[in-house]
Amino acid sequence: MALVELRGVYKSFRKGDETITPLDNIDLDIHAGEFVSMMGPSGTGKSTLLNLVSGIDRPDSGTITVDGTEITKLSRSKLADWRAANLGYIFQTHNLIPVLTAYENVELPTLLLKLSAKQRRQRVELALEAVGLSNRADHYPRQLSGGQEQRVGIARAIVAHPKVVVADEPTGSLDAETSEQVQVLLQRLNKELNITLLMVTHDSNVASIASRQLVLDRGKFLEAVRS
Amino acid sequence: MIMYVLKALWRHRTRTLLTVSGATVAMFVFCLVGSVQEGLNRLTTGSDADRTLVVFQENRFCPTTSRLPEDYSNKIKEIPGVREVMPIQVWTNNCRASLDIVVFNGASPAQIQKIRPIKLISGNWQQFASQSDAAIVGRNIASRRGLKLGNQFSIGDISVKVAGIFESKVPSEENLIYTHLAFLQFTRGLDAAGLVTQHEVLLSDDADPDRVATEIDAALRAGAVATKTRRKGAFQASTLSDLVDLIGFAHWLGFACVGLVLALVATTTVMSVEDRMKEYAVLQVIGVRPMRTIRLVLAESTTLCLIGGAFGTTMALGALGLGGFAIGAEGATIAFRPSWALASSGMFVSLIVGIAAGIAPAIQAATVPIVDALRRS
Repeated sequence: MALVELRGVYKSFRKGDETITPLDNIDLDIHAGEFVSMMGPSGTGKSTLLNLVSGIDRPDSGTITVDGTEITKLSRSKLADWRAANLGYIFQTHNLIPVLTAYENVELPTLLLKLSAKQRRQRVELALEAVGLSNRADHYPRQLSGGQEQRVGIARAIVAHPKVVVADEPTGSLDAETSEQVQVLLQRLNKELNITLLMVTHDSNVASIASRQLVLDRGKFLEAVRS
Repeated sequence: MIMYVLKALWRHRTRTLLTVSGATVAMFVFCLVGSVQEGLNRLTTGSDADRTLVVFQENRFCPTTSRLPEDYSNKIKEIPGVREVMPIQVWTNNCRASLDIVVFNGASPAQIQKIRPIKLISGNWQQFASQSDAAIVGRNIASRRGLKLGNQFSIGDISVKVAGIFESKVPSEENLIYTHLAFLQFTRGLDAAGLVTQHEVLLSDDADPDRVATEIDAALRAGAVATKTRRKGAFQASTLSDLVDLIGFAHWLGFACVGLVLALVATTTVMSVEDRMKEYAVLQVIGVRPMRTIRLVLAESTTLCLIGGAFGTTMALGALGLGGFAIGAEGATIAFRPSWALASSGMFVSLIVGIAAGIAPAIQAATVPIVDALRRS
């Protein structure tokens, strides 16, 4: 059984008089430990699909099941609980909380789980170590480079030991060298920690680091490539 | 999470400081207005307001115009239900409303000591009783006029020597100066030998105040001067009726202060939430529940209000405690005093206003579509 199952997912938007259908009866299975990338032109529904899998948006019809939980049936509060325990989200623009240090930003998701202070500290230290930023724990986001901020964002996404991590253009705002470092980091997290990753990107080079590459166009998957 | 709230407030410290300052000033005024209201309530509903009667000349209001025979006290004593009668000569420097009113009450030193709820904090009763021009001075007026034990104090044609300073659990008492009855009666200008301003009547426990008041007026109707006897609370409310209207109006000023804090903190919270809508969306992506988001915003608005409220209330209580303020008219005074009730009402109002100010922005932060909020720059 797949870890993430999308069945007949349909999503449309009204834009003026026009109806846009970024996702049209989509089916998708993602298995545990897989690293899946999604490519496609702008406005083809990549981010929409990512948001649906994350439970921060709802499909018009169809079902999304993650690890046996049909998240399309959950209330907003229940979805928040589900995300806290099961989902890590890596943003394109990092979206760190500016008033909190790197350590506090990474600690945030653990505050929502039933963990002791010691367990929380261990998890945060391990996450920061995994992204190579133990020595920047006390720095505020404004004191970090773009690449470092993204690594803190990745540490925040994995600290709660989620079942799925989604990444929306994780290298989109980084220079080539920093982008390379983040790609290596994502591959390592997938291989060494066996984290299931679903990544959206415009860049075919970045997409190629995934074990499976999907291309989305006009609401449908055009091809699926396994590397 | 409370750390997040405090750091968020600190990040916009200028905005926080301005909001807290506004709340401080408004709560300061709110507490001052509250203390005036409290002072009036104490005066008109205090423990002796219902169990003490004041016999005054009929159709007279200012103490200088009420002139009752001193020997009326003998007739009053004979009426059933009367426990004690104290003839009092009142002299005041100003019959109109004033913030620096000086009121002398001339009475028998023995009766003052026995009846009045006062306690000397300096000087002694014996010296007061033995010296005809001696006076004991309430703590507030002593502080306001800088009077100390042994000082000679003159105002108008009255000149007394301070033989003691007293405190009282009845705040308005601390704005009085007590002298010998005869001393005031023979003061130049008063020409009140054998006359007093009023008789204060203490009732026995089972006496009906209204019945005794009617009987006193009836018994004295045949005398040289007709009287009007009322409960002390009603007498003081009537004496201060002009001020009572003003204080009633000032009550609205208190509500205006609460409205001001509400508007100020609500504006700040709305601005803060608008600025950080994306941040709240990120928190919800991480797994923060909508209800917790609401609590975060409410914690912010309530913290602003409570800090402002705490500063404003503390400053007001400090000013009231140190200033010894009082307002008076026609010989009656309303004392403004700090109290625990005032402190707790200041903090309670701050808490409620903080919650009220944060509710709308909190709901907005918790219910905004996450995807739309994440797209904000």
